[in-house]
Amino acid sequence: MLFCFVQLQVSVTQQACVLNQALALCRATPSSQHPVWASVSERQYKSMPTHGIGRWRHLLPKEAPKKKKDKHQMKEIMAETDTTYGTLNVKVSGYDMTVVEHYSQYIHNLCNRLGIKVAESYALPTKSTEVMLMQEQGTKMYVDAVLKTHERVVQLSRLDTAVCPVFMDVLLKNQPEGVELSVKEHTEADFQARFKGRPELEGLIAQMSH
Amino acid sequence: MAAPCRRMAARSLFHFLSFSRTAGGNSGFRQFSSTSVHRATLQTKSVTEKASSPWTLMAAVCLQRLPVISADCGPIERKFRDMMLQLELEKSLLSDHELRLLEDAERMSRKQADDYDSDEEDERGDQEIVLAQDLEDSWEQKLKSFQPALRVTADADKDLTSLERCLADSLLLVAEQQVGGEKLWLLPQTQWQEGETLRQTAERALASLPAAGFKATFLGNAPCGVYKYKLPKAARTESSVGTKVFFFKAILSDSGPPAAPNAPFLWVKKNELQRYLKPAYVMKVDRFILDL
Repeated sequence: MLFCFVQLQVSVTQQACVLNQALALCRATPSSQHPVWASVSERQYKSMPTHGIGRWRHLLPKEAPKKKKDKHQMKEIMAETDTTYGTLNVKVSGYDMTVVEHYSQYIHNLCNRLGIKVAESYALPTKSTEVMLMQEQGTKMYVDAVLKTHERVVQLSRLDTAVCPVFMDVLLKNQPEGVELSVKEHTEADFQARFKGRPELEGLIAQMSH
Repeated sequence: MAAPCRRMAARSLFHFLSFSRTAGGNSGFRQFSSTSVHRATLQTKSVTEKASSPWTLMAAVCLQRLPVISADCGPIERKFRDMMLQLELEKSLLSDHELRLLEDAERMSRKQADDYDSDEEDERGDQEIVLAQDLEDSWEQKLKSFQPALRVTADADKDLTSLERCLADSLLLVAEQQVGGEKLWLLPQTQWQEGETLRQTAERALASLPAAGFKATFLGNAPCGVYKYKLPKAARTESSVGTKVFFFKAILSDSGPPAAPNAPFLWVKKNELQRYLKPAYVMKVDRFILDL
């Protein structure tokens, strides 16, 4: 019994020694080797072989500091080649938003499956149409209904000519009721149409140029 | 097989395609509008090596009429649809119209009460004249006077030559043509000529069908299937071992004037193809026809 007790005491004192040594090391060299760590009040066992085993941020590529005023750059419009079409806009529009959105999601998933690259997938602003009926006994028109047209666009960057007939066939056969499908080439005018006009800015620029 | 492949690749052409499935003028057809943006002129390269292959080339058109109405739901689909509608109804909030109905009902009950003071009411002169209930009644009247068209016309279904049959399925055009001495039912095809692309050959095949003004939109420049057959040994010569037929997909946009009753056309569904086409042919054609 005595023997074990003595051993325990010895081991405790050994641990205390190690601790003291480690702390001494820590306080001795705070700033020279790791300036970042100096401000952090953590224990660093630099003598341990596994020191810094979890560090990963130094392995990432250096990112440029993000500027806040980044103009929306247009993605490059791909040109047509002999075997592929260029950037295409598949526009889905209709009155029923759930149907239109589900169909555009279906197109997106289909492209992912067929290996067609999808550049962007966005929505154009909703257009409201007022349906006015003539009154029976008079010449005044009154509002009968308000119809909202929703539009969703799936932009494909490259479409192979061999895949095109298959893709179009599947799209047409799965087209739901009341939904219009149109496939067009993407132009810069289409991109600019998504932005809101700024009349004051344009007025000021006109004033400056005069 | 050098010539047509190279030329097909050199042709760059793009159409604006727009398809709409809303109420349209032509009964039974989707509105199609396609304009070609630019046509690059075919580069007629001087073909230095002219490998004369022993195969005759033909192009065929796979003309489809898309379904006009949606297919009926199966029993499980019907049950699921009913359950989803009920769920959505129970989870939904009241709409403006329903709120107005409730308000009007409440106002009526307050008017009926003995101690009614019209000055306490909010200024809603407009709504007292036209109640929401009246609007609803007038809408119901309009709905009753609307007669939708029949979904299934039993007579038209059996007539294989009419375009109005089986509105819920997609139909394929099959024509009877003379092939090497016998009349066979097959997809309309014609021989390829020098100096044109295979797609132009397919367009020619469609245009050359007797007594039918079909207007079609071709879905792409690339063929979707191929079928080749060798001539029987007796008919084989040095220069013709057999034929290769390339299929191009097209969607019907306009049927034109009604065809004569004796015209050798049939509009068939995919499961009826086996009755008319040869088995080996059907095997190849089945692969690219989608029966969704």
